[in-house]
Amino acid sequence: MQMDSVKYLIIGGSAAGMAAAQTIRQQDAYGSIAVLSAEADMPYFRPMIPYVVTGKKSAKDIMLSGNGPYVATGIQILTSARADSVNADSKTVSINNTWRMSYDKVLFATGSSPYIPPEIQGTDTNGVFALRTLADARGMAARAEITDHAVMLGGGLLNLKAAFALLARGVKVTLVVYSPEVLSQLMEPEDAGLIRIALDRAGLKIKTGLAAEGILSDKKGVSGIALSDGSELPCKMVCIGKGVRPSTAFLSNSGIELDRGVVVDRHTACNIPDAFSAGDAAVTFDPVTGQRITTGLWTNAVEMGRCAGYNITGKRTAYAGTFGIMNATQVADEPFVSMGIVHTKGTDYEVHASASGATYRKMVFSPDGNRLVGMTLIGDIAGAGMYRYVIRENMPVKEIKSLIISKKLHYGHFM
Amino acid sequence: MSGPREIFVRISRCTGCKTCEIACAVEHSASKNLFAAVSERPTPKTRVYVEGVLPDKRVPVLCRHCDDAPCMHACISGAIRRTAEGVVLTDTDKCIGCWTCVMVCPYGVIGRHLETHRSYRCDRCPGREIPACVSSCPTDALIYKTVGSFSDDVRKHVAEEMIAAKEE
Repeated sequence: MQMDSVKYLIIGGSAAGMAAAQTIRQQDAYGSIAVLSAEADMPYFRPMIPYVVTGKKSAKDIMLSGNGPYVATGIQILTSARADSVNADSKTVSINNTWRMSYDKVLFATGSSPYIPPEIQGTDTNGVFALRTLADARGMAARAEITDHAVMLGGGLLNLKAAFALLARGVKVTLVVYSPEVLSQLMEPEDAGLIRIALDRAGLKIKTGLAAEGILSDKKGVSGIALSDGSELPCKMVCIGKGVRPSTAFLSNSGIELDRGVVVDRHTACNIPDAFSAGDAAVTFDPVTGQRITTGLWTNAVEMGRCAGYNITGKRTAYAGTFGIMNATQVADEPFVSMGIVHTKGTDYEVHASASGATYRKMVFSPDGNRLVGMTLIGDIAGAGMYRYVIRENMPVKEIKSLIISKKLHYGHFM
Repeated sequence: MSGPREIFVRISRCTGCKTCEIACAVEHSASKNLFAAVSERPTPKTRVYVEGVLPDKRVPVLCRHCDDAPCMHACISGAIRRTAEGVVLTDTDKCIGCWTCVMVCPYGVIGRHLETHRSYRCDRCPGREIPACVSSCPTDALIYKTVGSFSDDVRKHVAEEMIAAKEE
């Protein structure tokens, strides 16, 4: 077995799949690696698609191959190849309902798909988007040409990025959020104050506490949207950003254990031999809460994909899990990082929050005060990675606690 | 010794004079001249940080160019790569200032340039035989050697001390 070259099959050509392919090639110079991607485009940096909407980057600019760590050769990529079912007994995968491919080892890295709330009427109308793929970005860019006003449903990070892409194109944008504040998954409403100010200043119109009832249309597609307060907003584009769900429908009836996503052990292995999963498609765990979670973050997917790449080639590597909440970015000139446990209202976590005119800093400790469990930093995010390390390693913080709170911690303290 | 050279820090020799910080910022200026660099825009930034640990320890902290660089894998725009010499480099043209690298660097040595909206960090001074921080250090607290050569020095030093102690 070891003398033969191994046939690796990776289903999914985005962060987890390509990071795994890269790692497999590093570990095994001779095995054949095939990556199936349902999309027509070659693998690309998915988080960059808002720049395709604005026109600041072309599709070519955001291609994965040859950039960053993605330099391995001998990886066969099949585009427009969608896996529809897996037969774990014969070790084959059915593709586009037309042909089958066999494997020795398989990785399920199909990622996730936008959640489209079924209660909203008319989501299949021309001009309704859920920005997920490069094809979506092209569609949005084209629709933006004839759009004077766009309505975004959902106040998450992806929708904010999409909103700013449209603002940059000169489109008027209204963000409709069901929660009392934007970014409610990433921070508490009281903590989002600085970001809200920045968004308002940037010209984004925000309506909170509202849901969409239905999308109105004429023969050119979207013409407006009906909201839960009975009002109607005329618009030519609607963008839905209501989170993502693991894309694992093709695995039903395969015998592979699913629980929202693909269930894997600490070594990214499925419940059947020679099958692994990583990225948005997989169920992982939060090292702080210990809970099973699925995430939708590029960075997490790469990390888990690399880990799966080691495991699939026989180098047993435990995945350290990831925070259910973790993201960094800059919206409207306001940088922020949020990770770990940040929703503390009504809990007994020990919270140290401080604010200056331009910055907000909230450090969350365990109820006994001995561990750092989460943080929200706005304005000044220096050294965020160090705190991530402290949280993730579950480090006792007694010696460095005052330094953490007063923002004086640096790596010298660990030496 | 074979293998790429690294910047080593000998904490016990650092006096906290911050000469390395100045040398680094000047090296990464357009003029490469201290007096001109002071008024340059974008402001030249140091990529080495001399930190203090109470009561009297000084620690120069800078990018370790990790073998398993979290920043490189976390980057969402493909801006961070490793050169043939093992240096982890941020391509400023590709950086979009999303700060994911800042979020994952456990050493806290990736800076945010607020004027250019790009991240920056030690690039080991391409074009220089010895990085500016190392050549500027007046106490040899910063050393530029291969891992093998540095550990040989440490072993030799320890052996000499042991011999000296025995002779006493």
